[in-house]
Amino acid sequence: MPLSRRMLLGSALAIPMIRPAAAQAQPIKIGAILPLTGPGGLIGTQQQRGIQFALDQLNAKGGIRGSKVEVTFEDNQAKPDQSVLSFNKLVDLQQLPLIFTAYSGPSLAMAPLATRKKVLLVNAGAQADALATASPYLINTLPTIGDEIRVLSKWLVKNGKKNAAILFENSAAGISGRDNYIKHFGEAGGKILSQEPSQFGQTDFRPALLKLADSKPDVMLVSITAAAQQMAQQYKQLDLKFSVAGTTFLQDPALIADPAAEGFLHTQLQSEAPPALAAEFKSKFNVDMEFFVRQYYNASNIVFTTIDKVLEEKKPLTGENIRNTMLAIKSFKGLVPVVFNSNTASVPFDMRVMRGGKDVLLEELKD
Amino acid sequence: MLALQLFINGLVTGSALGIVAISFSLVFSTAKIFHVAHAGVYTMAGYLAWSLVRYGVPSPLTLVIVVVLCAGAGALIEWQLYDRLKQRRATDLVILIASIGLLAVMQNSISAIYTPNILQFPLPWASQVVAFGGIRLSWAEILTVAFSLSAYATTMWFANHTNLGKRIRAVASNPFLAEITRLEPRSVYVYVIAIASALVALPGVMVPLDFGLQPYGGLTPLLTATIAMIAGGVGSLHGAYVVAVAIAVMQNLCLLFIPGEWSVGITFFIFVFFMLFRPTGLFSTAR
Repeated sequence: MPLSRRMLLGSALAIPMIRPAAAQAQPIKIGAILPLTGPGGLIGTQQQRGIQFALDQLNAKGGIRGSKVEVTFEDNQAKPDQSVLSFNKLVDLQQLPLIFTAYSGPSLAMAPLATRKKVLLVNAGAQADALATASPYLINTLPTIGDEIRVLSKWLVKNGKKNAAILFENSAAGISGRDNYIKHFGEAGGKILSQEPSQFGQTDFRPALLKLADSKPDVMLVSITAAAQQMAQQYKQLDLKFSVAGTTFLQDPALIADPAAEGFLHTQLQSEAPPALAAEFKSKFNVDMEFFVRQYYNASNIVFTTIDKVLEEKKPLTGENIRNTMLAIKSFKGLVPVVFNSNTASVPFDMRVMRGGKDVLLEELKD
Repeated sequence: MLALQLFINGLVTGSALGIVAISFSLVFSTAKIFHVAHAGVYTMAGYLAWSLVRYGVPSPLTLVIVVVLCAGAGALIEWQLYDRLKQRRATDLVILIASIGLLAVMQNSISAIYTPNILQFPLPWASQVVAFGGIRLSWAEILTVAFSLSAYATTMWFANHTNLGKRIRAVASNPFLAEITRLEPRSVYVYVIAIASALVALPGVMVPLDFGLQPYGGLTPLLTATIAMIAGGVGSLHGAYVVAVAIAVMQNLCLLFIPGEWSVGITFFIFVFFMLFRPTGLFSTAR
C-alpha cells in the first residue's frame, strides 16, 4: 500500500508523543567547563574529580529515577574566550540544560549567554563579587569573596596584623579581592599601605614583593588564583618578614606542601569529608579529598537532588526549572550545609595555617 | 636598598633577555629571517632539561646535552624549512608565516606532551639563596647572570676572532658578494641558526630553573628581545644585549615611582619616544 501524505504527516506527529516513554531510559546529560590544564589545571582537576566521584556514586545506585547521569567535561584553561566556545558547543550542539563552571573570568564571560539561553551555570569555586549579580542563571554554591574577606580582615586585625600590603592578580577575581581588602580591612580598623598587581600565570613576583616589603606591612594580603607556589618560593628567597594571608584562593595542594609556604594564613569555606567518604575517594583516585574536590562533590549532590525533585514534579529538565527548583528547595545538607537566600549561598568559614606541609585548622570563624 | 635590589633583579632578568636578543639579532641580521620559532626553541630547551633532570642526568651534563640538541634543532629548522622555502623563492612574509606556524606546532606539542601546567625543576639547590650584604640571590639567578655574561663575551669573541665568525659577518654584510666569493651563505645560515639556538638554550634552561616552565612562556621574552634588537640597532649584537638589559632594569626601577601595571607600558613608551629621534637604533654606528 503506497504511503499517503496524510499517513506520513500522522507518523511524524506521533513521534513526539512516544518520546517521553523512550526518554525515561535516556541518560540525563549535563556539562562541566573547567580549567583541566594550564596554570589552573591542578585545581580544575580536583573539581573534575569531585564531580566524577559524586557521579559515580549516583550512577552506582541506579542514577536519578532510573536514568543514569552523564557529564561532558570541557577544558577552558581558565580562559574566558575558550569558555564561551565550550559553552556554545555544549548548549547549541548538545542542548545541555546545566553546566558546572569555575574561575571568575570564565564564569562571568558565560553568564550573559546563560541568561539568554536559560542554561543554568553552577559555580562551586569562583568568588568574585560580580558573580552574585552576573546572571539569574548563575548559581554560586559558595559565598562571594567579599563575605570571606570581611571575616578574614576582622581576624587579622584582632590578631595584631593592622598594617597590610596587597598582592593582587590583574583579573576579575584578583581585582575583586583587592577591592574587598581595601574596603573590609579598613572597616575592621586596619590600614592598607601599598598594593601591587601581577598577571594571571605570571611567575616572577620578586619586583612586586620587594616593593610591597618596602612599605613595611605586618601582613601581605594575597588575591592571586595561580602560581602561588612560585610566589611563596620567591617570598622565602627574599627572606621577607611579614605574614602572608589570603582566602580560599590559597587552597592549592602544591602550595600547602611547599616548605616555602610555612605559616601562610588563609580562610576557607567549611567543608570536611567524613573519614569513610574521604577513604573511599582516596582508594578510587589515589589522592586526598582536597578542598575543591569536596566543593564540587557537594555542588554535584545539590544538582542531583534538584534534578530528582524536578523529575518528581514531572517538569521538563530545563535550566529554568532546575534553577527555580534549587532556589525553592533552598537548604541542602551535604558535606557543607548550604542555604540559598539568593542565587549565592551562605556557608561558614574556617581560619587555617599552612604548617609542616599540612593545612591546619586554627579556628572556626563567626561573622 | 629597595632600589639596589630592584636594580640587581633587573640585571638578572636583563642578562637572560640579552642572550635571547643577541641570538635573535644574529639570525635576523645574517639570514634576514624574522625567526619567531626561536621562542619555540627557547621553550623547548627548558622542557628538554626538565625531562633529562627527571631521568637523573646530572645538571651540568643536562645543560650540555640541551645546548647540543637545540643547536641541532636550529640547524634542522634552517635546512629543512627556511632554506627549502628560499629555494622555492618564498617571500619574507611566507617565511615569517612558516616560522609562526612552526612556533605554534612546537608550543602545542610541548603542551600536549607535558600539559600546560607550570612545572618546577626538581632541583632544590636552584632555590637556595646566597646573601651579599642586603642583596639576596638564588643560585638560579646567579647562574643566569654567569652563563649570560659568558655567552655574551664568547659570542663577541667568536664573531670577531674566528674564521666562521668573520664569514658570518661577511655574509651578513653582503650576501650577494659572499655568494660569488664562495663563502657559501646557505651553509652559513645553517651555522648561524644552530649557534643562535645553542645560545638561546642557556636562558631557556636558566629562567625556568627559577620561575618554572610554561609552554607558552617564550613569546614575551622574544617580544622584548625584538624591541631590544631594533632599539639597539639591527646588526649590533652589543646594542641588542645592552638595550635588553636596560629594558629589564628600567621595568624594575619604574616600580619605585609607579604601580607595577604601568611599568611595561611606560618602559616601552620611552623606547618608542626615543626611536622617533634615533630610528636606526642606539648602536647603529656599530653596524
